[in-house]
Amino acid sequence: MILLEDIHKSFGTHEVLKGISGGIVQGEVLAIIGPSGSGKSTLLRSINLLETPTSGKVFVDGVCITEGRVDIEKVRTKVGMVFQQFNLFPHMTTLENVIYAPIKVKKMSRKEAETLGKNLLNKVGLGEKLHTYPPHLSGGQKQRAAIARALAMEPEAILFDEPTSALDPEMVKEVLTVIKDLAHTGITMVIVTHEMGFAREVADRVWFLDEGLLVEDSTAKSFFEAPSTSRAQGFLEKVL
Amino acid sequence: MMLDFERIWPSVPYILGGIPVTLSYTIVSVCLGFIWGALLAFCKVGHIPPLRWFADFYTSIFRGTPLLLQLILIYHASPQVIGYKFSFWEAGILTFTLNSGAYLSEHIRGGINSVDKGQMEAALSLGISYPLIMKDIILPQAIRTILPSLVNESIDLLKESALISVIGGADILWRANEVAAEKYAYFEPLIVAGLLYYILVMILTTGARLLEKKLKTS
Repeated sequence: MILLEDIHKSFGTHEVLKGISGGIVQGEVLAIIGPSGSGKSTLLRSINLLETPTSGKVFVDGVCITEGRVDIEKVRTKVGMVFQQFNLFPHMTTLENVIYAPIKVKKMSRKEAETLGKNLLNKVGLGEKLHTYPPHLSGGQKQRAAIARALAMEPEAILFDEPTSALDPEMVKEVLTVIKDLAHTGITMVIVTHEMGFAREVADRVWFLDEGLLVEDSTAKSFFEAPSTSRAQGFLEKVL
Repeated sequence: MMLDFERIWPSVPYILGGIPVTLSYTIVSVCLGFIWGALLAFCKVGHIPPLRWFADFYTSIFRGTPLLLQLILIYHASPQVIGYKFSFWEAGILTFTLNSGAYLSEHIRGGINSVDKGQMEAALSLGISYPLIMKDIILPQAIRTILPSLVNESIDLLKESALISVIGGADILWRANEVAAEKYAYFEPLIVAGLLYYILVMILTTGARLLEKKLKTS
């Protein structure tokens, strides 16, 4: 459902992505891993054009979104995103955070959206926090609310940008559990993560990035058991 | 020096009558100026270069020329250019709005930039359109930073609105001048006018301080 063709991205003279190609099929869970500064987040953010690639093509559902006139807002409703820093809207309650976009973008009725929102927040264990403002939520609760917000748009895919990196250790698990449960629903997921155990457990496939290149693209099983490149071997030795 | 406030005492209510006039110029212009300033600020932080150039150029023009010149130009020159003669009220409101919009746009831009970048990204990732993001996500958060400067702009405008008396708007200063001419006494009525401006500004300043305190605690 997502296809990347020779993606390059430079910030000034610094080339972060040096030509990355690959595809992600419907319902697949892909983990993108690699050392810091390898371009993982930039690549992820290229998929919904939060970063515009310097060159190369991005296809979502067969439509090239990097060329010509594309309704990028519509594409973004199909590809949700969960951020490292949660980025909940602090002036809205948890429920309002979740239902704002369905009402304003998808023109859902308020009533319908509230039912959907309550449902989703219940699912991520925040049924008690519907009317709480984000500053009064813990990190783990914020991230779960952010996941519910992304799900409320009923996207075909969700991009996770280091969803547990800003969390205190004791809150990592509750967020990972929510993401794991999602993996079984058939939604396409792309996850940039440093949690190797989690990636191994939840991902179907792994992309290993290093210095802006896609060094290894293999199933999670074979990547963690027998990485084929020496760079991936070296990386895994360091982090596992 | 002979000061005789008793002589102008009967005219004081007449000068007081200028308060609503002065306030109406101030309040209407600040409100309209805020809306106009917000639109200019959106242009400045947006990604459409011609709009950004326009907003920057506009701001530099209105900040780089005297307000009095702008007022006189709009009041006296408009019939020649657009064939319509503005009333004092229209010319005053228009000038003050255009002018405070320029100043406020800079403050609003600063407020917008003070909002965490992640807010914009999260909103974009949900497919929300740029105008909606600004209105519902960014501006409500920026308002905290903007509010103090909005009050300062109101104070400035309250004082600068006295310029309207130059083209004949019957505000506090204009009325004081009238009284002065009538009684052949300048000092007393102008002191009364000055006092009124000072009191109004003090009220606004106190209100602003309370507001800021409240914003800090909430």
